[in-house]
Amino acid sequence: MSELHWLSVTKAAEAIAAKEVSPVELMQALLSRVEKLDPRLNAFIRVDGDQAMASAQAAETEIMAGHRRGPLHGVPVGIKDIIDVAGLPTTCHSKVLQDNMATDDAVCVNKLRGAGAIVIGKLSTHEFAIGGPSFDLPWPPARNPWNPNHHPGGSSSGSGSGVAAGLFPMALGTDTGGSVRNPASCCGIVGLKPTYGLVSRRGVFPLSFTLDHIGPMTRTVSDNALMLETIAGHDPLDPGSAPSRIGHYGAALERGVKGLRIGFVRHFHEVDTPATPEVTAALQHVALTLQMAGAEVRDVTLPTLGEFGAVNRVILQSEAWSIHSKWLRERPGDYALFSRRRLMAGAFMSSGDYVLAQRRRREMIAAVEDAFREVDVLLCASSMDPACRIDDTPEVERTYPRQARTPFNTTGHPALAMMSGLSSGGLPLSVQFVGRYFDEATVYQVARAWEQAAGTDKKHPPIV
Amino acid sequence: MDKEIIEMLARRAGLQKALAEFPEDVAAAANQAGDVAAKIKPVDPRAEPWPPMRAGEEL
Repeated sequence: MSELHWLSVTKAAEAIAAKEVSPVELMQALLSRVEKLDPRLNAFIRVDGDQAMASAQAAETEIMAGHRRGPLHGVPVGIKDIIDVAGLPTTCHSKVLQDNMATDDAVCVNKLRGAGAIVIGKLSTHEFAIGGPSFDLPWPPARNPWNPNHHPGGSSSGSGSGVAAGLFPMALGTDTGGSVRNPASCCGIVGLKPTYGLVSRRGVFPLSFTLDHIGPMTRTVSDNALMLETIAGHDPLDPGSAPSRIGHYGAALERGVKGLRIGFVRHFHEVDTPATPEVTAALQHVALTLQMAGAEVRDVTLPTLGEFGAVNRVILQSEAWSIHSKWLRERPGDYALFSRRRLMAGAFMSSGDYVLAQRRRREMIAAVEDAFREVDVLLCASSMDPACRIDDTPEVERTYPRQARTPFNTTGHPALAMMSGLSSGGLPLSVQFVGRYFDEATVYQVARAWEQAAGTDKKHPPIV
Repeated sequence: MDKEIIEMLARRAGLQKALAEFPEDVAAAANQAGDVAAKIKPVDPRAEPWPPMRAGEEL
């Protein structure tokens, strides 16, 4: 048995079901690691240690009595603190909601608990999932376990940092402009933004109604598929929920990529927003590896990143203003500088700007759908740079928009980010795979082929 | 965007308090909005917005 804190979700669940590992023993090991490492990482806003231990004890009793609740029974999960967990505050990492007690679980949390997962605590985020990293909030920003002087990405910062550091094997994040995939990229883990509407948003604090997604964050591709299978499904009380059937997302994991057609969106990182040479070389290596494994790789052209970004930003900021306008009018000083500036921008967008963005969005969706008539999966950059220093504000501001994630919030296609290699400075580099609507299974199939070829699931940060 | 227009739009949006306490942030937000909106290409006049118009089941 490997060290408990590096057990994958799948391995932990199997070992617990086989009574080789006790949920209590696993939770104790993780809480000790949290106690040791979290003062350097700030992944948590609140560790719910007592409740987590009580739940682990209950899981152990149930399992010893031969009752297994589901595929995640006894496995700890971290929850981004814009997602409701009954009995705990949902602070959104903000002074504005410091005492905002949740009375019910969000639907996604409820589903995880139904499968037997145990909530270990609430995780750091950029304030309201938009403004960060910020040092002028009640809690410090999360840090990158590969180098705590560096940014872990955001906005699901604590989720990325904690999964990568072995504080918990899985976490929930949210993604409106790339906020699951950015920390996955910076921290070298697997993060999926599912198809829009596949996972219910009920019980999650909104940022932008038509762009918000909830997604799984894990250290392996198969764990990610298992977690998605647990949280997906139609919710008639979420107006954005799609009436889709839940797929068996891990069905094709071990099929390889022979015969698959992969569209390489080179212009994103070669022309639109030129990536650093290390990022470019790593992407080329991913494409060649998949080609050698039997995939057909061809170039694909989509609208430019600049325009995708503008459409995403106009929609996001307009919708976010409609949510935050009351508080920004009455208590602007309770927001951190980053989020105050980003959220107030919506006050200066016109209705014409918003409708134009939504109309252009429809054309962009058509362009991506056209590409999927020729290929099965898209391969493209996620971040154009490795994570910068967290205290270098100008560099954070320069690198933050240098990414290719927002296109797929705008279009709603499923998109997964994962490690493509390591930089010369020892920080993760990233790649993104994008699929047809509701075809997460093929995205996972390609991601698993890359993971297997590169051994990305075995690379952990050196933090001890 | 010039200062007078920013102040006028901010007041219209009810941001008097922010204007008094954080004038630089209000100006930064306004300029950000103007810059980003200008980057969107004109669309086909027949293009409709997303999400599509859809009557609710309860109607």
